[in-house]
Amino acid sequence: MIVYDKNRLDNEVLVDEADTLYKGGFISKEQKKIIEKELTVLKSQNNILVRIGFFLLGSLLYGSICAAISLFGLSGEHFFFQICCYIFAIVGFAGTEILANQNYHNHGLDDAFALGALLNVGIAIAVTTDGYEMMIALFVAIAALFLFIRYLHVLSMLVFCFSVTAFLFYVMFEFGDVGKAILPFVAMIFAGIFYFITKKTIQKLKENYYYNGLLLANSFCLVLFYFSCNYLVVRELSGELLGTEVKPGKDIPFALFFYLFTFIVPIFYFFQALKTKDRIMLWLSFLAIAFSIYTIRFYYSVLPIEVALTIGGIVLFAIAYFSIKKLKEKESGLTFKPDRINHSDNFLNAEALVVASTFGIKPEMKTDSPMEFGGGGFSGGGSEGNF
Amino acid sequence: MEKFKEKATLALFEKGLITENQFEEIKTYRNLNIFSLNAELKFFLYLSVILFTSGIGILIYENIDSIGHIAILSLLLIVISICFFYCFKHSRGFKREETNFEHPVLEYLVLAGNILTCIFIGYLQFQYKPFGDHYGLATLVPTTVSFFCAYYFDNRSVLTIAITGLAAYIGLSVTPQDIFNDSNNLYASQNLSYSAVILGVLLILWTIYSRRISLKTHFGLVFLTFALHIISIATISNLTNYSTLIWLIFGLMLVGSTYYFYKASYQYKAMSLYVFMIVYAYIGANIFIFRIFENVDFSQMWELFIFLLPAYFVGSIIMFIKLIKNFHKEITA
Repeated sequence: MIVYDKNRLDNEVLVDEADTLYKGGFISKEQKKIIEKELTVLKSQNNILVRIGFFLLGSLLYGSICAAISLFGLSGEHFFFQICCYIFAIVGFAGTEILANQNYHNHGLDDAFALGALLNVGIAIAVTTDGYEMMIALFVAIAALFLFIRYLHVLSMLVFCFSVTAFLFYVMFEFGDVGKAILPFVAMIFAGIFYFITKKTIQKLKENYYYNGLLLANSFCLVLFYFSCNYLVVRELSGELLGTEVKPGKDIPFALFFYLFTFIVPIFYFFQALKTKDRIMLWLSFLAIAFSIYTIRFYYSVLPIEVALTIGGIVLFAIAYFSIKKLKEKESGLTFKPDRINHSDNFLNAEALVVASTFGIKPEMKTDSPMEFGGGGFSGGGSEGNF
Repeated sequence: MEKFKEKATLALFEKGLITENQFEEIKTYRNLNIFSLNAELKFFLYLSVILFTSGIGILIYENIDSIGHIAILSLLLIVISICFFYCFKHSRGFKREETNFEHPVLEYLVLAGNILTCIFIGYLQFQYKPFGDHYGLATLVPTTVSFFCAYYFDNRSVLTIAITGLAAYIGLSVTPQDIFNDSNNLYASQNLSYSAVILGVLLILWTIYSRRISLKTHFGLVFLTFALHIISIATISNLTNYSTLIWLIFGLMLVGSTYYFYKASYQYKAMSLYVFMIVYAYIGANIFIFRIFENVDFSQMWELFIFLLPAYFVGSIIMFIKLIKNFHKEITA
């Protein structure tokens, strides 16, 4: 089923491993070079910037091919409009197939064609069925699953997860108000079941070709599980879908359950992540905790925002400081020492960029108009814009 | 994941690509079962600094008339002094090469102290106008402080603040979200474009000079990144100018900067410089082609263009693949 040469896929893993070993200081640079020379691999881009660049170029190419095809169809007008997206989708699949045969994988070009094909499948079904969401979600999910299985395209797996979830939602909407009312619980059970299914599948995997995609699906289930019964999501969605308005002094049904869920799940994720040494789950737990805090602040203004920020900063600083102090001297297990094998500090390189965008000093006069200059707030009249 | 990683190491060993000693060493290391929270905790420190300083900033902004000014100023001053006291106490003094603190927390204290100093000076200027109407001076003072901190404590984040301050002095906003949505309005004001290019050139010259006297050479990439983006965006936004002479001048500037950064990215082995250099050059070249043909009447043969377009993109893609491949070969050699 996989279009790529298995040998090359295996070599890909070995070269990656050699790269991590070299970065960890286990093998020498010469050795790494020999390994890279010995093993033939696929054409892929590890640098995210280059990959995005090729993605954009690939999208331009895809778009221009579609434009050229449209020239032929312009005379057919209405009929052509009905079928054009199917043709474009076929172009996308053909492009993906050709690129895969040329051994392009995770290169950016193949991403452009695969994602473009999925987009066109969606539009084509929407045109044919007059925007019947359930059908769109179903067909996009099938197409995405095909792309993942045949071309090991991990981004398609993400599209698959989203469209399957959307399909579930639209099926529930078919049942009317009852379906909408029990939607949170259905989504929760769905996420839970699929979490364990994907986890079992990963454990049983003999080859690692599908590993990354399954891991993504697994993490997606964790996220969906948290959001399915988060108080904010449930309350806003039920307001949106059922049109129920929560009157002052009243609350949504099962409010206590949703509140408890909102707080217990992130904490459970956090401890489970530390126990199983699961870095993805750890990060998801951080994000979930942040969103839970946001949930509370959304309904109850506990503290004014500036005080909350200041105190939050101090508390976070204290947590980090004492954790570092505690973990600094440990040599194994949970530690503060950088891991020689699993580097996860790539994002720290982006730190300076974030500082520049949040705290960069801006010119004091942006316009020549004296009105705006005098009337501005801190950043207008002062010397810098810190906000 | 672990089991596949271990299998890969074993495969490397079986193919005779790593020695038995290395294999054993890797195996023992894996058995330590290390789960490092290094990046996570550093990120928390960083986040806490951002939250705290933003909170303080808004606090001052909201209460600028209610709490006593002296109280705010003195409170800020105390916090700043505490930050810098610890930093100076544990700093190893100024070094020409890359240094770092023994304790990672201090790096973030420098950042906090620096941002708070900027807020302090801004507040001072807003309330008491010690610099009078010399707003440029009010920008330069925090910039100078930031440059000092960046060089003394060897802190990249502070350096970026300092560079944005320098750009702000000439009236340019170079924070990432502003530079791309053109809030500077480079198209309308040519003088600003010239100043931007000059600032970029000065940054490049400073990088070359620091490299020669080997002063904090690892800052070079930060300076060059700013220089590349400032020069390229300033020149590209002027390529659409109606005056032929002006857009030709800016076109030449873009060619010059592209050539320099092509060389520089090889020298620094920096993929990020290389990629953005290519992207800007490509955008510039396309605008150039468009400008040349703008006066020719193509209304009869536009279909031909649409058919040529895919071929044009295929050609560009092949060229880019070649360029990237060469660069890879060069920097890994």
